[in-house]
Amino acid sequence: MKKDLIIKKHKKILQHFLVSIAVLISLMIPVELFAQTDSTNKTEPLVAEETSLISPSIDFISIQKGDNSIDLKAALKAKVKGTFYKFPLLKITFMQLTDTVEKELGFVITDRIGSAVFNCKANSVTTDKEGKLHFKAVFAGNKSMDPADAELTIKRARLEITPVKGDSLLTTNVKLVDVGTGKEIPVKDIVLGIFVQRSFFPLKIGEGTTGENGEASVEISNNLPGDAKGMITLLAKLDESELYGNLEASTTAKWGIPVSDILQEAPRSLWSAHPPVWMMVTFAVLMIIVWGHYIVIVYELFRLRKEEPHSQPVNQINT
Amino acid sequence: MELNKYQQEIFDKQRPVIETFGKKVWGWTIFFLLWILVGGYALYLQIAKGHEVTGMRDNVVWGLYIANFIFFIGISYAGAVISGILHILQVEWRKPIIRIAEMITVISTVIGPIFILLCIGRLDRLHHLFLYPRLQSPITWDVLAIGTYFTGSVIFLYLALIKDFAIYRDAKLNIPKWKQKFYRIMAIGYRGTPSQNRHIKISTNLMAIMIVPLAIIVHSVLSWIFGMTLRPGWHSTIFGPYFVLAAIYSGTGVLIMSMWVYRRMYKLNSYLTDKHFIYLGYIMMILGAGYGYFTFSEYLTDWFASEKWTSEVIEKLFNPAKYGWWFLFANVAGILLPILVVAIPKTRTPNLIAIASFFMVIALWVKRYLIIVPTLESPLLPMQDTRMEYVKYSATWVEWALTFAGIATFFLFFTLLSKFVTVIPISEFANKEKSTAPAKEILPGSEIAPA
Repeated sequence: MKKDLIIKKHKKILQHFLVSIAVLISLMIPVELFAQTDSTNKTEPLVAEETSLISPSIDFISIQKGDNSIDLKAALKAKVKGTFYKFPLLKITFMQLTDTVEKELGFVITDRIGSAVFNCKANSVTTDKEGKLHFKAVFAGNKSMDPADAELTIKRARLEITPVKGDSLLTTNVKLVDVGTGKEIPVKDIVLGIFVQRSFFPLKIGEGTTGENGEASVEISNNLPGDAKGMITLLAKLDESELYGNLEASTTAKWGIPVSDILQEAPRSLWSAHPPVWMMVTFAVLMIIVWGHYIVIVYELFRLRKEEPHSQPVNQINT
Repeated sequence: MELNKYQQEIFDKQRPVIETFGKKVWGWTIFFLLWILVGGYALYLQIAKGHEVTGMRDNVVWGLYIANFIFFIGISYAGAVISGILHILQVEWRKPIIRIAEMITVISTVIGPIFILLCIGRLDRLHHLFLYPRLQSPITWDVLAIGTYFTGSVIFLYLALIKDFAIYRDAKLNIPKWKQKFYRIMAIGYRGTPSQNRHIKISTNLMAIMIVPLAIIVHSVLSWIFGMTLRPGWHSTIFGPYFVLAAIYSGTGVLIMSMWVYRRMYKLNSYLTDKHFIYLGYIMMILGAGYGYFTFSEYLTDWFASEKWTSEVIEKLFNPAKYGWWFLFANVAGILLPILVVAIPKTRTPNLIAIASFFMVIALWVKRYLIIVPTLESPLLPMQDTRMEYVKYSATWVEWALTFAGIATFFLFFTLLSKFVTVIPISEFANKEKSTAPAKEILPGSEIAPA
């Protein structure tokens, strides 16, 4: 009777236990803990299925440089299932368009971010009657991607930058001239950005608007960090002009605070090859204490083994 | 080895367990091995195809494996801290439970680091960690700390086992010869002489003192792998003590569960009594309150400061559409439930304490998951034009299979170890008869002798 009661009690506890787990699991399942699908079951290909090819597009821009050359920059990308992908290792051909022919300038293979930059020398292109240049970037397509192309038209212009050191002021003079027709015509009322080149990208430090003579003047701070000799690279930029596209010019000046490019000696720091002394000492002390104790214990056990009384009768346990 | 009446009684009770394997145990062993086999197949896939078969990606580079690693190292505290502290304090009621606690320590210290190996992409470069260690790296600290802790745990368990091995050696058990030889070797010639007892006492006391600070250092180092970074939710000064407390807490829960299982499986009600469950329940309640305090303090300061990235993590933890339900479960089952079950006299029973421990242990596993994943899903640099699975993590069946294989290995080791040693230590009760028997019976030369 008592045994039955105990069994019943245990069964009841087990039932409660299982019900609790079931309730818990049911509470948890709807929760969006695992938003990602099982990646091992992923069968959808990133690239297109046989019937539908990827339709890429080309972002095409130009940058007219201070040395009269032009950088043609094309970025190949496509939107697949709502996400943009950039395509590396594909061939982009650059052409100049004239009234009669499409002249191939050359080709570039896209880099890992799908970008191809072609530097077009001043003497390799000719402007039309209006002083404009027409370019085209072409991707010929492949078995999984449609062809794509993009065109752009720019008027030739030149940006000049000159550092001017006054008594107490450092100034940068910039000048924008239209050179499309062969003559140098100053361009007025254009906002130009002044930048200083930093490790990765240019940092904007000011801007100026061109006057009647196409010139603008921007004051430069005298506490910019430079290289080891105090040299800084100044850039003038005109971004995304409808007529001229992008323009860029650069110059260097010894206006910076010299910053040594030699790594400072820090032989015992957190980031150096050898750890700080305090760390080594702490580590060594801790390890010696702990492993020292282990050795003492093993030694004690060794002594215990040696002290086994060989003559002592062994009282057997009742079996 | 001479046994007193009480020791003889305990030994007789457990003798069949180490003499026979039994159908039930075979069944469980095969069941665990099957689990491990599935894990083996998952491991083969992971090695053959790479970590692509897991849910870990560029952003969330740690997932289930690291949660399991912290969990198992955490429960290894059961033996270290409980048996260590109770030994130093000479608490009498600890004796029947310390063997289980020490077994938990050693086994979980073996299982835990396996998950690190599963998480590493280039196992072929593992030896570089030892050939070219950087002492400044928390990963190096962790490897050294866990290696040292594991060695200490094995020594601690072995010291407690020497006398029992001698008992098994002399008991003429009905066991195979290799097993008898094993006991003879492991007993290292212990015959119970005063000098030998002194050696064991010195060693055990040294280890009991050592193991507690060692365990604290190990788990602090583990927490620093997170705390030393500037990630939201990790960069916290209280992460060390928070991890240590959570580890002891979960270890206590696993100890209670193990006691409950062994008590039922081997009918050890006379030795693993209600008193043990209630006392450990009290310890669990106090630890639970402390853990609750740390949790509240951690999230309150994070929430109050409203730092951008931290707020993003907090929002994920409190939003029911994200991790809100899990966070609630982790706190209700991990803090409130154990405290209430032990605090209310009516619910303070071994069964309910064991059930509360079960949920608490799961809750603490979920908590480890919530420490790792939401933080990694909150990158400091904005992610643009990327696939969702690069940002969001969810474990694949491969990771789950290996997780369950780890748990199965834990249970399998436990099952096998309990076939080699008695879960209730016999030698610990050498003075039991003297302390409970009338004074005249324990006088030298009296009639009292082993049965």
